[in-house]
Amino acid sequence: MSLPSTDQGKRHPVEFTADAGEYFRIWIVNLALTIVTLGIYSAWAKVRKRRYFYGHTRVDGESFEYRANPIAILKGRLIAVALLAVFYAISHFAPFYIWTIYLVLLFVGPWLVVRSLAFNAYNTAYRNVRFAFSGTYRTCLGLVLGYALLTLVTLGLGFPFLRRRLVQFAMENHSYGTTRFALAEGFKKPFVRPYFVAMGVAVLLGVALVAFVVAVSVIAGASAKAGAPKPAWLSTALVAGVVVFYALLFLQIAYIKARTVNAVWNHLSIGPVRFESALRARDLLWLYFSNLVVVILTIALATPWAAVRAMRYRASKTTVVASGPLDGFAQGEAQKVSVAGEEVADLFDIDMAL
Amino acid sequence: MIEFDAVYYDGRTSARKAVRVRGYTLAIQIVGEGLRLDVPLEKVHVDPPVGGTRRALHLPDGAQLQTDDHGAVEALFPRRHALEGWVHRLERNWLYALAAIALVAAFSWWSVVDGLPLAAKIASGFVPATWEAKLGEQTLGFFEGSLCRPSALDAARQQALQRRFARLTAGLADGYSYRLLPRDCRGIGANAFALPGGTVVMTDALVKLARNDDQISAVLAHEIGHVRHRHGLRMALQAAGLAALATAILGDATSITSLATTLPTALLQSGYSREAEAEADDYAFQRLREIGLSPKAFAEIMLLLEKARQKTSGGGPRDYFSTHPATAKRIERALAAP
Repeated sequence: MSLPSTDQGKRHPVEFTADAGEYFRIWIVNLALTIVTLGIYSAWAKVRKRRYFYGHTRVDGESFEYRANPIAILKGRLIAVALLAVFYAISHFAPFYIWTIYLVLLFVGPWLVVRSLAFNAYNTAYRNVRFAFSGTYRTCLGLVLGYALLTLVTLGLGFPFLRRRLVQFAMENHSYGTTRFALAEGFKKPFVRPYFVAMGVAVLLGVALVAFVVAVSVIAGASAKAGAPKPAWLSTALVAGVVVFYALLFLQIAYIKARTVNAVWNHLSIGPVRFESALRARDLLWLYFSNLVVVILTIALATPWAAVRAMRYRASKTTVVASGPLDGFAQGEAQKVSVAGEEVADLFDIDMAL
Repeated sequence: MIEFDAVYYDGRTSARKAVRVRGYTLAIQIVGEGLRLDVPLEKVHVDPPVGGTRRALHLPDGAQLQTDDHGAVEALFPRRHALEGWVHRLERNWLYALAAIALVAAFSWWSVVDGLPLAAKIASGFVPATWEAKLGEQTLGFFEGSLCRPSALDAARQQALQRRFARLTAGLADGYSYRLLPRDCRGIGANAFALPGGTVVMTDALVKLARNDDQISAVLAHEIGHVRHRHGLRMALQAAGLAALATAILGDATSITSLATTLPTALLQSGYSREAEAEADDYAFQRLREIGLSPKAFAEIMLLLEKARQKTSGGGPRDYFSTHPATAKRIERALAAP
């Protein structure tokens, strides 16, 4: 990324100033309080942790704010836990009716996504101007149903297009104050491409893996027939094959994440502001892998450190380019947004983050 | 009087204005270029402190002050947030953090060893027997599909075994519909399983291993003990509780929904705890006596299983004793049973 910017704009690197030690204390104290209060405090814990991360994310010297009310989050959590209990009960005791749950989720899922995006946007502010999300349930449902059908019919080949359309829906319906987010057409190709590259590599890998297994079993069979002991390298080769397979799988995930995030942010603009995102697959690969190893070795005590480290990397690769002062954004109209969607989406792992 | 620097936002745009704030006993005065504003203290809403992040003071009409002068904010608005102010003081101190680590570690340990089993036992009381049977059917599907085929024993032999089982379950009247499924499961060896709801699966290898049918009755009585104590259901609930706990601690690191689908297999693979085995043993001893058999038959079949295990030099990972630990002790208890 050494190309000189042709844009006349002022460049503001995103700063993340959190301290892993400080965040660790916040994390562990809030966890302990959650336990002591039998989970009730968890809503306050969530807000404090978010506020810490938002407050340490800065652009042009000013930090972000997370404004959610813990009481609202507590209510949402109670609803989410009740729904989850129903889901558990059905999947355990009436597995034949599990399809009803999936059918319900298909229709409720888009609602959860929309409410969750709206809640988070409404409760995020920068320079005392709130973000907002105006996407509707009807649009989201139509997208999900239509593209889900396309994905089924095309045996998965349509999936990248579903993702692309959903991300476009999520981004273009956001606004900062009264200023709408705009996603340039150019994002489409670089967004979809990595999926197909990954699919191609996966097919090649599959073929290679089958060939590898066949070769190993032929050698094993030949030596068994001859009565000779199996060559010592055989089991090593098998283990190596499995390790390489998983490493490449990890690499695919990192590659898709890096490329799609870059594609979206490099084509996004908010009024006079645009972004530069330069995530690299190999950095993400190392980040995910090392975080995983450290968290396991420290029996989860390094979780806060890993979270800070991941966010610091993301911030260090993101730049805000403003072709004017950041002063001119107008506050939007206040709207009340309920929390239930966000909490349910959280527990059911519906993730629209990008 | 308290004075500090701050950034002022008017609530209408993102334009920032550097201001000087003077705090008095009843109000604050905000002074900046072209701005002079007095706001009563009780109209100012202060966010609770979190770490070293910038403090925000919310003013009427959506206006806002932001400042890094934590000392001034605390001095002007002391004890505004009783709860979160106290939490903030805990979070700043490594000593409290260490205490929190100890508390979380002790709680996690206690949950796994005592808390979850106890909670599962209590929760299982609220689950109707018909639901439990559904859980059993689901697990049975796993056996029938991949591991087992119908028994290869001849019909007369199978009938004799069914009569034994019927005698053991006769008159129990506990709401479970008991049935014995003799199965030929090559990969499993000599073994028997109780599924929630009353189904007992017994392998042909176990029938062949037993020297007499009283020994088979002893194993079946033990499995009926598992059913009556609802061990299968309790294990499933325990695993669900563990998943929920892990999610609570690790945050979004694990996903509940994916765990929900793997539970039935987890139930199979991890076996019952030592306490559950002892409970099932005690039931078996009592039931054998009731129908006029001796608990010694249980000791005998345990010994045979142990020998079979040693002969296959450790055996496969699924043999009887890997799921039934501390055999010697259990044999002793059977011999000492009244």
